[in-house]
Amino acid sequence: MMDIATSKPQSTGHANGIAFAVAVIALASIPWFTGSVFHFHIAIMICLGAMAAAGLGTIAWVGQLSLAHGAFVGIGAYTCVLMVMRLGVPFVVGLPLAALVTGAIAYVIGTPLLRLRGVYFVLITFALNELFRLVMLEFPSVSGGSSGIAAIPKISLFGLVLRDQQSVYVFALAMLALVMALLWSIRRGPLGRRFAAVEENLELAEASGIPTARTQNTAFVIGSAIAGFTGAIMAHYIGFISPESFGFQLSVSYVIILVTGGRLALAGPLVGAIFLTPLPEFLRSAQEYQHIIYGVVLIVVLRFLPEGLAGLPKRLAGKGREQS
Amino acid sequence: MSFLIAQSLINGIILGTLYLMMAIGFTLVFGVMRVVNFAHGEFYMIGAFMALIGVTWLGLPYAVTLALTVGLAVLLGALTERLVFRPFRSDELSGMIASLGLAMILQNGALLFFGPDPQAFPSMVSGVFRWGALIVPKSRALTLGVGVVILIGFYFLLMHTRFGRGLRALVQDQQVATLYGVRLELMYPLGLGLGVALAAVAGGLMAPLFGVSPFIGATPLLKAFIVVILGGLGSIPGAALAAILLGLIESFVSSFISASAADIVTFALVVGVLLLRPSGILGRGEA
Repeated sequence: MMDIATSKPQSTGHANGIAFAVAVIALASIPWFTGSVFHFHIAIMICLGAMAAAGLGTIAWVGQLSLAHGAFVGIGAYTCVLMVMRLGVPFVVGLPLAALVTGAIAYVIGTPLLRLRGVYFVLITFALNELFRLVMLEFPSVSGGSSGIAAIPKISLFGLVLRDQQSVYVFALAMLALVMALLWSIRRGPLGRRFAAVEENLELAEASGIPTARTQNTAFVIGSAIAGFTGAIMAHYIGFISPESFGFQLSVSYVIILVTGGRLALAGPLVGAIFLTPLPEFLRSAQEYQHIIYGVVLIVVLRFLPEGLAGLPKRLAGKGREQS
Repeated sequence: MSFLIAQSLINGIILGTLYLMMAIGFTLVFGVMRVVNFAHGEFYMIGAFMALIGVTWLGLPYAVTLALTVGLAVLLGALTERLVFRPFRSDELSGMIASLGLAMILQNGALLFFGPDPQAFPSMVSGVFRWGALIVPKSRALTLGVGVVILIGFYFLLMHTRFGRGLRALVQDQQVATLYGVRLELMYPLGLGLGVALAAVAGGLMAPLFGVSPFIGATPLLKAFIVVILGGLGSIPGAALAAILLGLIESFVSSFISASAADIVTFALVVGVLLLRPSGILGRGEA
């Protein structure tokens, strides 16, 4: 059960890392050359998708797959929006608080939940996502019910309101970099090694004295807090939220981004989001086929690239080589 | 009051039958192939469309249509096993993620083909049965009757045929079953075919009551999940108990309190059961 992919979450070497960084910077700057508002919008959505999927990837690092990730994005979105709109809290305060609140909720439910493993964990997170939607619909005085909350104020940083796509993009890029830097430092530190040990062999990790339940919960809390952080930015960028915005479909889309990009690679979520977010736009004439294409891509990647697109360079470079 | 209780009881049993048909196929596929099939609800939806095509486009009798639905669904299941699930046989999580992709393909394929609007399904029988103050529409009685017949047939297949014994052996222990000559190459496609057929015929049976659209698979899938969580993944007696229980709870709570209360009660139940007994009420204790 635990062997999601037998490979270890290791870097593919410095040369690859640099090539990857160059590619990302080149891609990140495309909108500036075209200047199209629409391209900026896509680029923002890539950043947000990559961030949320990176949170999901943190949970996958300990060998669990959450189908409630969309709900955690929603919890962050509602938390921040309610604080900003009802309590008049500035966005710069609401944003980290959204991550904290989401992380705290994840901690409370994660403690009993993470006793479940594999498919049982997936099933209960699926049920939780549904429960979130129902509860939001049930308390319209807080959540606006099924009509949601509209006219959410734009992102504002110390009085500077991000009115246009360009400035939101700069902000989203910076936040993405922040999240990736955090995850990178976790991965290189003792916590990351514990995550990897738990993912690779839970029983062995348990036997060697790693508190596996607490380690999994830590990953769950970090991953969910990142989801909440993303949700807060997303809500203020799009300007509208409703319980339906954070349903099963959203959770599935993060799973698709993560799996397509690579479940265990640090760059996986980024690669997945870069590849999948603009895909329907390139196939604009065939927009009805968008979800069908997503489904096909997902199955094909699972089948032929179990390490996702991020594992592609390594595959091309020669499969058998051992890297450490 | 006693009228409301009797009415709730009957509606609960009809719902329970539907949930049981969905859950049995789902749990059987999990037990045999270790695949959590997120596309199970889409097979229900496809079954409903198959019935719609048979009855309204081709003008076939309802009984013939249902029989054809079962046959086509077995083929579809076998094909799905070959194309989608076979590569992930030893990998539960990948198989499950692949089924998420399959569900997207099927639902959006149906959307492309039939459009998003719900379509009415002609009523197969009209009129009502009356016992005093109690009124049961004949269409509901028909659905219930046929559903029960199919479940009995399924039980016979599982308990008294070679194929059924093979399936049960696989659920118990794949390695031992294989050693005793159960052929995976045959059992996997047919096992999935049987699961798909149960979902599809449930769709065909419920279509006259609930209508048909590309989105109707979500609720039965969710209910199948709930039933197998409560009953224990892979346990058919557990599924039977949980399905009837869930149908009755939903029916009674929605009649006496409200539909959304029913949803919240069932979810609370799911979370409670999972936390106290992670492998379900009658599960195998392997979680």
